[in-house]
Amino acid sequence: MNKIFFVKSFSACSPDIEFFGNLKLQVSDIDKTLIPVDMRRRTSLATRMAITVAKNSCIKASVQTSNLPSVFASLGGEIQITDNLLRSLNDDTELSPTQFLNSVHNTTAGYWGILNQCQAPTTALSAADDTFAMGLMEVCVQLQSYGGDCLLVCYDEIWPQYLAPPKGRIAFACSLVLSSKADGALASFTMPQIDCSTSVSFSEEHKVLAESAPAAAAIPLLLALQNKNSACLPLNIISPIWSSELTVF
Amino acid sequence: MDNNKALIPPVAVIAYSALSACGQGNMALYASLIKNQSALAPLNLFNVPFRTNVGAITQPLQGLHRNLIQYDSRNSRAALTALNDVDAGIRVAIEKVKSKYGSKRIGVVIGTSTSGLYETEEAYLELLRTNNMPADFYFVKQHAYQATARFLQVELGLSGVCYAVSTACSSGAKAIAAGQRLIANDVCDAVLVGGVDTLCRLTLRGFHSLDLIAEEPCKPLDKDRQGISIGESAALLLLEKSCSSNSSDMRLLAVGESADAYHMSTPHPEGLGAIMAMKNSMVMAGLSFEKLDYLNLHATATKINDRVESAAVYSMFSNNVKCSGTKGITGHTLGASGALETIITLLALKYQFIPGTNGLDQPEDNCKCQVVKTPIYNQNIQIAMSNSFGFGGNNASVIVGL
Repeated sequence: MNKIFFVKSFSACSPDIEFFGNLKLQVSDIDKTLIPVDMRRRTSLATRMAITVAKNSCIKASVQTSNLPSVFASLGGEIQITDNLLRSLNDDTELSPTQFLNSVHNTTAGYWGILNQCQAPTTALSAADDTFAMGLMEVCVQLQSYGGDCLLVCYDEIWPQYLAPPKGRIAFACSLVLSSKADGALASFTMPQIDCSTSVSFSEEHKVLAESAPAAAAIPLLLALQNKNSACLPLNIISPIWSSELTVF
Repeated sequence: MDNNKALIPPVAVIAYSALSACGQGNMALYASLIKNQSALAPLNLFNVPFRTNVGAITQPLQGLHRNLIQYDSRNSRAALTALNDVDAGIRVAIEKVKSKYGSKRIGVVIGTSTSGLYETEEAYLELLRTNNMPADFYFVKQHAYQATARFLQVELGLSGVCYAVSTACSSGAKAIAAGQRLIANDVCDAVLVGGVDTLCRLTLRGFHSLDLIAEEPCKPLDKDRQGISIGESAALLLLEKSCSSNSSDMRLLAVGESADAYHMSTPHPEGLGAIMAMKNSMVMAGLSFEKLDYLNLHATATKINDRVESAAVYSMFSNNVKCSGTKGITGHTLGASGALETIITLLALKYQFIPGTNGLDQPEDNCKCQVVKTPIYNQNIQIAMSNSFGFGGNNASVIVGL
C-alpha cells in the first residue's frame, strides 16, 4: 500500500507570465512587497522567485511559517552569482564577500529562515532533471517521519546559455505546502515511485519547456491541481520516470 | 542497541571509507588521529593571491572509466578512489546489498558544497579567453551539485533515489539524515551517503574575502585562532536497515537538524540553532543527555564559531562530555566535513579513544567545555555525536552508537 500525502496549496512564479499564460497555467510575477528592501537588494532572481512562491503558498494554506520545515530544490541554484564570481577569478582582486555568501546552494533556504524567523530544519537539494521528483521525495519521507506540514520550493533562474543550453532559458519557480494530514487539503498524492506499469509521460510541449526550465518538471502536477484532474502524473522528463498518483478532492 | 524511546529507527553503518589529506582509507585517518598529526600543508594545487595551508589529498586519484568520462571531475575521481578502497570494502558491501534488495532499492545521497567547480573554473579561463566553453565541458554531469552522486549511481549500476544535498558545511551530515529517513520510511533498504568536496579557487578566495582564512595551520578552540584551513575529502558510508546480518555493525541513531534564522554567515550569538540541532538529535535517538560519551565539534577555528559552539555545548551538556575538534588534522572539508567527521566519530567508537584537537595550545578563557587536546585511549564510548554548522545558519548533529 503506497503511503498517501496531502497538498494544502500551490503557486507558481515566472517573470515571463505571458509564456505560461499560453500554457493556461496561472503564474504570478515576482512580488517585491513580500521581500524586505535590504534583502531584495542582495538577492538573485532565483531567490526572489522562490520567496514569492513560498510566501504565496503559505498564505493560501494559512500555515504558520515560523515553525514550518522546508525543502528547497534547484538544479543550478544561484547560478548567476556563481557565474559572476567565476568571471572575477580571472584577476587577483578580492571577491565580493556578499556575492560569495549568496552563491551557496542554500542561499534561498537561509533567507527564507531569516525572513520567517523559522528555526525548523531546512534543506537544499539538487538532482539534475529529477530535481522536482527528488524534492517531492525528500518532503514525503520528512512528513512520514515527523508528521505535520512541509514546504517544497522548486526553482531555477535564467542561466548563461554557454553552460548547458537550453537549460535556464526560462526562469520558473513553484511551491507546494504539503501535509501528512488531510484537513483542508486540495488533493492527495502518493509517494513518488519509478513508474513501470503505466505509460505516464510529458506532452511534447511540456517536455520542451522542462528542458529549458528544470523546475517546470512540476507543470503536469501544477496543471492537474489547477484544473482539478485526478491522474497518475510524471515528475521528471528523462527515463526512469518518477510518478505520483494525484487525487483531487 | 535496544531503545524504545527512539523516534526514528536506527540503521546499520555496514561500511565506510574516508579519503582525505590523511591519506586513503580509514586506517590512514586513524593513524593521523592517534598521532594527533596535522596533514595541513601550504597550498600548491593552484595559485591564490594569499598564503594559506590546506588539507589536500596528495595521493593520485583514480580515473573514471572512459564510458563515464563526461562525469570526470576532481570530485568524482575522489569519490571513485574512496569507493574502491579495498580495505574499507564499501564497493563489495554495495554489491552485496544490491543483490540482496535490487538496484532500485539502493539510494545515493551525497553532500557537497561545490561539486565539480574546480573544473568549471578551468573552463571559465577558456571561456574568457576564447568566448567558448571547452568541447569537453558538461555542466550538468561535471559541475552541478548532483554530479558526483549521479556518477556514483551510474558507476554502481544503481537505479533508485539519487540526489545531492548542498547546505554548505552541513551538507554531509544532512545527506546522512536523508539516508536514514529513506530507510526508515521503506523507500530504500540501503543508501550510500556521504560528503565529497574538493579544493577550488572560488571557495578559498571566497572565504578569504570574508576574512576567515588562517595563514598558518588552523588552531581550533585556541585563544589565538585565526580562522580556517580548508581541506578536501571523499567520505562515504553505506547505511542498511537493521537486520540479522548487520547486528554487530555500528549504528547511526539519529540526526538532529535546525536553522539559525539569524544571519547568512554569522551563527546565532547564543547558539540557539546549534543547541536545537543537538537537542533534536538526542530526542530523536531517544537518549537522555548523560548518555553522550564523546562529541566531535564543528570547531572550524573561526573566532565566532568556536566561541558560540563551545557555549552551546556547555549549555547542553555542562562539562560532562569529552569534546574535540579534528579540523587541525584534516582541514575543514566543508560539504564533506559532516561525513568525514562522522567517520572519525565511528573510529572513536570502534577503537575506544577520544581524538585530540591538533592546533589547540591554550583554550579561550571562557571555554567551559571539557576539550581534549591530545588523544586519550582505553575509553568506554558507547554513544558519540558529530556537529556540523553551515552558512545560512544550517545545522545538523549526527549521533552514532555501538
